[in-house]
Amino acid sequence: MSFVCPGCSCLCDDIEIVDGRILHACRRGEEIFEKYKENRAKPMVKGKEVDIDSAIEEATEVLKDSKNTVIYGMDTTTVEAQQLGIELAEKLNAYIDDNSSFCLGEFVEAILRKELPTTTLEDVRDRAYVMVYWGANPFHSLSRHMSRYSYYPRGAKRPRGYEEDRFLVVVDVRRSETAKLAKKNAKFIQVDNDDELVDSFFKVMEGKAAKYAKEAGIILNEMKKSDLNVIFGGLGLKYGLKDLGKFVEMVRKMNEVAPLYFIPAGFHANMRGFNETLFEKTGYVNKYSFKDGKGDVDFAFTSLLQNGKVDTAVIIGTDPVSSLPYDVASKLKEVKTIVIDPRMSPTARVADIIIPSAVSGIEMGGTMVRSDGARIKLEVIEERDVNDIYILKKIEEGL
Amino acid sequence: MRFSKFLKVEAEIVVARYALVSDETKSRFEPVIFFHPEFAKRSGVKEGDVVEVEANGRAVKLKVKLSESAPESGGIIPNGIFASYLTNFDGFKRFKANIEVAEGEPSSVGEIIERVKP
Ligand code: SF4
Repeated sequence: MSFVCPGCSCLCDDIEIVDGRILHACRRGEEIFEKYKENRAKPMVKGKEVDIDSAIEEATEVLKDSKNTVIYGMDTTTVEAQQLGIELAEKLNAYIDDNSSFCLGEFVEAILRKELPTTTLEDVRDRAYVMVYWGANPFHSLSRHMSRYSYYPRGAKRPRGYEEDRFLVVVDVRRSETAKLAKKNAKFIQVDNDDELVDSFFKVMEGKAAKYAKEAGIILNEMKKSDLNVIFGGLGLKYGLKDLGKFVEMVRKMNEVAPLYFIPAGFHANMRGFNETLFEKTGYVNKYSFKDGKGDVDFAFTSLLQNGKVDTAVIIGTDPVSSLPYDVASKLKEVKTIVIDPRMSPTARVADIIIPSAVSGIEMGGTMVRSDGARIKLEVIEERDVNDIYILKKIEEGL
Repeated sequence: MRFSKFLKVEAEIVVARYALVSDETKSRFEPVIFFHPEFAKRSGVKEGDVVEVEANGRAVKLKVKLSESAPESGGIIPNGIFASYLTNFDGFKRFKANIEVAEGEPSSVGEIIERVKP
């Protein structure tokens, strides 16, 4: 039997456990399966251990009294739990947001709005020739991405794999581990400013001189050899770009030269699931206010905290103390914090109420959405009754 | 005592995921900075030193490791609690920091949590 690893948005579905040994997973995936019983959260209210139902009841009471609640996270839980979280936010007339508002949410939004053409990782494996890792270092962030889906596999129409049938491009501000692979049939472009490379692609297509004209020219020429080329854009691209619209326009224009698709590279296992679930319900991928009936940058979790717009934060399966700048994370002390998480994360350690839950893909089944939009069914190793679904249902019933 | 202990140098810091230092159980996070070997040499910093990294008016102490994947004019701080403590959204994944060789132990996760919510 194979399991799905919930470690990152690759959602590798070939994990096997043989005689207690975890097979096929990368180091991170292996650790998730091996150590899921470690550092587990305990139900707590204001630093005192309580039973799980008391923690849920206390959270429900806090939410009943709250005037402005934000529900945040859910990128590591299942689509089914995300749907309940969104329902809860609606019932509370609350704000809802996830990590994608400072991660790759705007790229997912552009895909869902059909502004960026996209494809599946299976198509990439079978057909892609030019593959551009732009501001992404899968060596660390998506450790099996290149071996399962992109550069190394021998695909149906790319039988000679990386040796002859792929053209690898890496764009980064430094010579990352992935950049070091760009040797034969490859190009590493060290940028200081990503917009300059976007600009160079435009200029070369218009026949003008540009800073990266040589590199852009080579890539455009190589693209013509295939009916499927792909850009994997990571956080380096997001934070390197001043204008996403210009990047989207560049991809559109490059499609006049040869087919080029975009797939976001690297985020929490089910961030895209959150984006798609909220998008289906509201037309926005994140930063949404049920009170105002719209999405807006002011409704990002970070803005709400910094502007003192909320009195209660429900943080589900994510760790803002570790991932957000101090100026934002330190504002958590000014609001009531309810953390629902399997682990005693740094955020759980500063919470007023901790409700321990189950690890998705190990103790809870359901669906997650891979970085390319494929829906993947999770298996369960050891079912745990108190999971995100149970907790969110209980809270909603109690309101 | 080395002369470099009295010098502060400016470094370009890239924040990036570093699979080998994070712990998926969220119980620990290695307080480490990866300097490019050339930058370390120029700055008089050795592998194993503890450095104080200061940015945006905040500072943490991190243990030095070397990596050729780091930017030539500085280092990588792995994505996580120490990098987040130093950054602002303006320069979230790439910022300038002052580096100085320091005495004592690297910062702990507990110390940062204590600063977030005293
Ligand atoms: S690449 Fe991601 S999904 Fe695959 S085994 Fe590693 S952590 Fe798990």
